Amino acid sequence: MTRTGQHNVLVKVLQWTTVCCFVTLTVLPLLYAIARLESVTGINSVVAVQNFFTTQSSLQALKFTLLEATISTIATVIIGLPIAWCLGRYNWKNIKLLRAILAVPFVTPSIVVAMGFLMLIDVGGPLTAMGIDLRLESGMVGELSNFTNWENPGHFIALITAHVWFNISLVMRFVEPTLSTMDRTWEEQMHFLPAGQNRLSRIRNLWLPIIGPAVLCAATLCFIFSFTSFALVRWLTPNQDTLETLMANSGGSAGIYGYRIDTSEVVLSTSIVQLIILSIAIICATSIQRRHSTIHAVIAESDAKQISSRPNNLAKMIIALGVCFAILPLMLVTIASFRIRNATTGEFTYSSEAWSEAWSGDYSTTAIPDALSNSLIYCLITVTFALPIGWIISSCINRLEQEQKATTAKIVEFATMIPLALSAVMIGLGILLGLLKWSPGLFGWAIIPAIPHIIITTPFVIRIILPALRSIDSSYHEQAIMLGMSPIKAWWHGKAAFLRAPLVVAGALTMAFSLGEFGASWILVRSGSWDTLSVLIDQLMSQPKFNPLIQPMAMAAATVLMLLTFILFFIAERFRDNGEGSGF
Amino acid sequence: MVCGSMSGCLGALEAENESVECSTFSAGHKDDGKLRILTYDILALSDSMVEEFTNRTGYEIEFIKEDDAGGILDQMMLTKQAQQADLMIGLDNTYLQTAIDNCLLRETLYTQSDNYQNISEEAARPYSGALAVPFDQGPVCLNYDENFVDGENVSEPASLWNLTEETWRGKTAFPSPVTSSPGRSFMVATIDYFENDDDESTNAFDWWQAMASNEAIITSGWTEAYETHYTGGYGEYTTGYIGDAHLTVSYCQSPGVEAYYSSNYTHSTSLTLPKSTIQQVEYAGIINGAANIPGAELFIEYLLSPEINAQMPENNLMYPVLDGYGLPETDGYRYHSDIPQENANVEMTRINEEMTNWLDKWQSATE
Repeated sequence: MTRTGQHNVLVKVLQWTTVCCFVTLTVLPLLYAIARLESVTGINSVVAVQNFFTTQSSLQALKFTLLEATISTIATVIIGLPIAWCLGRYNWKNIKLLRAILAVPFVTPSIVVAMGFLMLIDVGGPLTAMGIDLRLESGMVGELSNFTNWENPGHFIALITAHVWFNISLVMRFVEPTLSTMDRTWEEQMHFLPAGQNRLSRIRNLWLPIIGPAVLCAATLCFIFSFTSFALVRWLTPNQDTLETLMANSGGSAGIYGYRIDTSEVVLSTSIVQLIILSIAIICATSIQRRHSTIHAVIAESDAKQISSRPNNLAKMIIALGVCFAILPLMLVTIASFRIRNATTGEFTYSSEAWSEAWSGDYSTTAIPDALSNSLIYCLITVTFALPIGWIISSCINRLEQEQKATTAKIVEFATMIPLALSAVMIGLGILLGLLKWSPGLFGWAIIPAIPHIIITTPFVIRIILPALRSIDSSYHEQAIMLGMSPIKAWWHGKAAFLRAPLVVAGALTMAFSLGEFGASWILVRSGSWDTLSVLIDQLMSQPKFNPLIQPMAMAAATVLMLLTFILFFIAERFRDNGEGSGF
Repeated sequence: MVCGSMSGCLGALEAENESVECSTFSAGHKDDGKLRILTYDILALSDSMVEEFTNRTGYEIEFIKEDDAGGILDQMMLTKQAQQADLMIGLDNTYLQTAIDNCLLRETLYTQSDNYQNISEEAARPYSGALAVPFDQGPVCLNYDENFVDGENVSEPASLWNLTEETWRGKTAFPSPVTSSPGRSFMVATIDYFENDDDESTNAFDWWQAMASNEAIITSGWTEAYETHYTGGYGEYTTGYIGDAHLTVSYCQSPGVEAYYSSNYTHSTSLTLPKSTIQQVEYAGIINGAANIPGAELFIEYLLSPEINAQMPENNLMYPVLDGYGLPETDGYRYHSDIPQENANVEMTRINEEMTNWLDKWQSATE
């Protein structure tokens, strides 16, 4: 066998080993958790699912989850599309900054989003000042409730608004690059064709085929993220359960023999129902995203670049509203960290007292610098593993596609998306049970909570690197080999050099996602010495707040987390290509 | 071959044998000189208290925190074969028997010391064995907003059945006994209340069903009920406040705590109907599987010392357990803390035996 042949074999072995290890790391905890729950409850998964549909509370949670995810998706597309349209169709100054501001919500930790929206809808907050009381549901929201007999419409609207805020950048990320790189002459030509005589026919025959897959792709992902939303539901709709909160509430006592069997059954049945629904959504997302990539590639390859006009007043207003919408909840969090209630008068004053308290911490609450360093350690560990794993798996998928093994490539791509369909509770529980079985000594090991972070962030790395790999011209690598370079040098100059920007983007986003991860940390991080910022915020918010400093301390921790996420995201944006069509 | 169930398919992975006989478990961590304490979030042991302990004994402390007493028990049950902590602080008298029956605790020498005699009779009543030592206590009871129950338009309920009337429709909030420890204590109190009332045709679950029909708000925890929904407490100053309930479950000293933090002002008070309140006693105990037993013994002794235990009202918002110590008078803490007329009395063993059944019935009643 030649040296190149040996090298190819080694590469294949490395790629398949990585794929197998990652899928095992993803699936094994799930299998562990299911096996344990079946063993504890004495029923198999099929029976558990049957029982799910006969339990009133589970059915209610399923209905509410489907309803909020569907409405959130529709609302996100309706609000996100005009913003994406305006960004893509006009020539904006500081387009990178605008994109970054509008996209920041997606990487903002969900616990911070929850705090921001609570401030937004709070009594005395900006919305109640405008007469919209979503929290106490007085005024017009109360009348809506009375008129429609709809229980807690304000809470539902607040949740949907928060989901729109969180997911709006998905519509932007998918639709805007397609619009901004599209050749404007297509639109002009369409006007002269019989199929493009009026606006409706142009929508049907031009815009739908071009941006339809992008919108669908964003919508499917928006549905998935809204479906699995945890912190927002926990704080914004306190009277309602989704499947995720139902599992989290029961997760603590699940999997224990002879104790609270009911909670084990809830977690078993709910997680399987959730897995089935999300798997279907992910199959749709993968298939639509493939179609979108193909269309985007065709559009982006067009030589005749579009000539964008200056934005009109309507476009300026839409973008300004979008920017305000993106910034407002985050600003309110920062303001709230300085707003202290006077225990005697009940009035509010502004001081940095909560910052001092949160910064120094005590034995009941971790100090911000400690929580910050814990968060940074976890996110560095996560990026150290997720980036190479994601890169190698992307290379494997790309190689399979180039070798015309489309079905195998699709299977691998789908398998790597599985973490998106898994509940953080199930991942946490599975890892916990697996460790107890195989190596109990590792249970208290501080690195353990990084495992779910790696599992959860790797699919995002793949989403970013795979399109970049697909766009690399293979002739560069071939030419490097022909020039007599060693396989490693040829790989470096022919492939790796082109991936610098996507790798930085993937690295920064992985760190941002890891920083904000809450669900799995909530299950696994129990040692006070290893509390992360997101866990610290939730702990503070869950404490009795007789002491007026507790809540501002939570907001101070949220502000630090938010700032850190922003810095990482702006780094990512600086490296992102203008017309990049990759998912995130 | 298609497997009928995942546990069958993964039988080799899942062949764990859960023994019910008490034996000494092995520790899941090494004795590295640290003392690991499993507790819940709000145990406000101050920096200086912990540092003082470290200075005196040389043991460093690491807290492993759960959300509440239920979380502590869950964690101990789940990690039974490899306990992660040496000492648990926070299981109450509605959870303790389960921990004892599952061999999760080992005997402490503290019960043999002279200082143990300083523990009040009331605190020692639910459990006085050697597996756990009480460290704080407080009666769980209903709190109501005096601005709503003004004595003119709405009068103080004379019976729990009054809460099922139209006046209270949608205006009560209860933490779920499934997920909240005060919620669980209050449900136990209702069992005793309705077993001892004049009406023999109804029981506690009939009342819970009537409350659910009267649109009682059920929350997952105390924080959501008291802070988000209750109008009588500090919740009205917090983000996310809804304020749609004028009565909730808390402690009889909660109005005192409100006053203590608000310069002797509160419009919250307690409903102390006989048998509708229940004494919650919280315990510290050495975990079966502890690696640092001497450290755990020393911490129990420290926790029960007058200098530390007397600070429970300020630090953990509960009563001390030592004879002769109570709530401080500062800013109306003691004045506004109500004294129960007659606490419900349900034996720990009965709570443990019947809890699963009660929770099932409660869920059916409130669904």
